[in-house]
Amino acid sequence: MELRQASSATELDGATPVHGGTEVVPLLRAGLLSADTLIDIRPIVPRGISRERIGAGATLAELECDPQVPAALREACRLAASPQLRNMGSLAGNLLQATRCWYWRLNWPCRLHGGDECFAQEGEHREHAIVANDFCASGHPSDVAATLVALDAVLHTSTRTLPVAELYRLPTEDNRATTTLEPGELILEVEVPPCDASVYLKAMDRKRWAFPLVGVAAARSGDSTRIALAGVAPVPWLLDGELDDATPLPGNAYKVELAQALVRRAKTALASA
Amino acid sequence: MSNTLNVNDHLYEFHSPAGTTLAETLRDELALTGTKVACAEGHCGACTVLVDGSPTLACITLAHSVGDAKVTTIEGLREHPMVESFVRSDALQCGFCTPGQIVSAVALVEAKAVPTRDEIRHAMAGNLCRCGAYPKIEEAIRTWQD
Repeated sequence: MELRQASSATELDGATPVHGGTEVVPLLRAGLLSADTLIDIRPIVPRGISRERIGAGATLAELECDPQVPAALREACRLAASPQLRNMGSLAGNLLQATRCWYWRLNWPCRLHGGDECFAQEGEHREHAIVANDFCASGHPSDVAATLVALDAVLHTSTRTLPVAELYRLPTEDNRATTTLEPGELILEVEVPPCDASVYLKAMDRKRWAFPLVGVAAARSGDSTRIALAGVAPVPWLLDGELDDATPLPGNAYKVELAQALVRRAKTALASA
Repeated sequence: MSNTLNVNDHLYEFHSPAGTTLAETLRDELALTGTKVACAEGHCGACTVLVDGSPTLACITLAHSVGDAKVTTIEGLREHPMVESFVRSDALQCGFCTPGQIVSAVALVEAKAVPTRDEIRHAMAGNLCRCGAYPKIEEAIRTWQD
């Protein structure tokens, strides 16, 4: 394996980009990712925070305590991962993290690995998805991604500008990817439009250092409120309605009630903010 | 990429191949075995070292990516009063997680000498202790200047 430093975004061809390494290194070690060449992109990804524009290389620890950052995003960062991981992990890396589904992590030949079965649907799925879970039942683990969807953030990549929601796609028979990022494309900046109030609420198995069972991000601008959820679908889920059309699996129906309760609490918090 | 490491203010050359982690290089090549590896996948915090003062997981940090940053391991904190405080508070049983606990605790008190209970719990959340010595660890951090 070779590791080199990037000096421009055009030299990523065929190389695996690594920033904080908190996702890439464990995946390499677990054999879930293979790479001949790793390219350290820290020199070419902006890191500063300037009002609405956040460098994609900012760490979660930096976002967690910066008053320029909307409250929901600060809270999502504060409740994510562990202090060490927040010191290391970048904003864009967090958006691109892979699922925590143990069948995927244990390299079972599931649909995300190109196979023809979602083992979680018949197996252990207490932590898995309750909507859009018919093809792959993984739950998206990123508190930050759901929050940026609620905040209607925009990504500036090395090749295009897109709403953060369009970074994600539900996997299908023909295309098992869960993001729309092209090979060699780098997320460089995240633009977060101002809002009047925002909140992030997270249900987890322990109070710290846990992935979301359900995370609810809500942002209000004037009369309009956007709500997005983590942990309920294979991608960050923009809420439309009340989750009455959820399709929970036998072992995770509790999540519907949990999500609905957190949505109610988030709305109440926004109303009094 | 760099094949030197600044560890505890000492400059080391190392020869591990690309892809080697900082924890492996510290332990296997530089013989600094105070840094422990338990889960080896970035979950438990046993391998915590400081990189430019920030608690960092050495088991998932690539050694060649550290560059000029200053690495501080438990060996570099021998004289820090936090070590004595852990002993005084009996803040360990098996002791395997202790180097990582002390490294995280030192970073916390360097940032804020008298942290609140909530600040201690927030800052120490990434250091797991299977013996369950948490109350004593918290006590050691509260009383480190005594």
